[in-house]
Amino acid sequence: MTEVEMPVANTKTRILIVDDSSLVRLYCRDILEKAGLEVEQAINGIEAMEKVLTQTFDLVIVDVNMPRMDGFSFIRALRNNVADVSTLPALVITTEAGSQDRDEARSAGANFYLVKPLSEFDLLRHVAVLTGAPR
Amino acid sequence: MPFIKRGASTPVTESKPGEATAPHIAALSSPDAEMRWGAARALGGVAAAVPVLAAALDGEQNPRVREAIMTALMRIGDEASVRTLLPYLRSQDARQRSAAIETLQALPGAVEPFVAALLGDADTDVRLLATELARNMPPKHATLVLCDLLKKESHPNVCAAAVEVLAEVGTRDALPTLKACAERFANVPFLPFAIEATIARISSTES
Repeated sequence: MTEVEMPVANTKTRILIVDDSSLVRLYCRDILEKAGLEVEQAINGIEAMEKVLTQTFDLVIVDVNMPRMDGFSFIRALRNNVADVSTLPALVITTEAGSQDRDEARSAGANFYLVKPLSEFDLLRHVAVLTGAPR
Repeated sequence: MPFIKRGASTPVTESKPGEATAPHIAALSSPDAEMRWGAARALGGVAAAVPVLAAALDGEQNPRVREAIMTALMRIGDEASVRTLLPYLRSQDARQRSAAIETLQALPGAVEPFVAALLGDADTDVRLLATELARNMPPKHATLVLCDLLKKESHPNVCAAAVEVLAEVGTRDALPTLKACAERFANVPFLPFAIEATIARISSTES
């Protein structure tokens, strides 16, 4: 495993993982909690929106293909929200490597786009960048 | 995205659009989205309307009307409906892919004859989405088709999708294939992690 400088200075960082795959949520949570970060989960965009409006997060990690509300729709709803959450950083994780999906992620307002399968190094590196943690 | 109650669909046997349905067929091409939405809902029980619903879906831009058309196709639930929906698994639009897969998932019996071909499709994204169609199959059959896929699949994301479904519906018959897959993809950390969790789930639910 590549050595990764963990965002240890921000152990109070709260991250919301939004993915309908329980295994992906488990994998991300395992990595992030081992790095000392606090993790909350949602299974689709609707549940995620309820959580961001009632809790405080520093970053949302969101899948694209999900039932009820997909990741792009969630990010658009987030960016159009009048509350403070409209600027919450959003990291998209997806199996889609196509340029159209990248363009849509950008136009929806995502801050970055990671293609699955996720590596621990990439996940932690982008979490550190997007939460402003020292790295 | 269609509103679907799993198992609630009843295939409709009405094969010819009667005089009562003719106005709804005409309304599918109305410039008024509300009229098209109402027409799609009204045609949900008419098997003979599949070709016009298919044509309407192809050109429809309004998400609410698209949802109503997909729901209508789901309510008809025959082979023609499935054939209409399958191409949307190849859509470049994430919402269309998600809507199509959710609709098809509600039709496990009608979809089953297509699953093997979809799992062998040349398009990685189609194979990946097709794993979701096994979710509503009988567990033994789902395990069989997904293990067949895992034995030959080279793309880690397709394997990950199959593992995800096996975690929910797989039987102990999947354990040797899962272990072999974890070894084959030892360099993709997510897969051994996901497979370990899946083996634990299957073992605990089947013990």
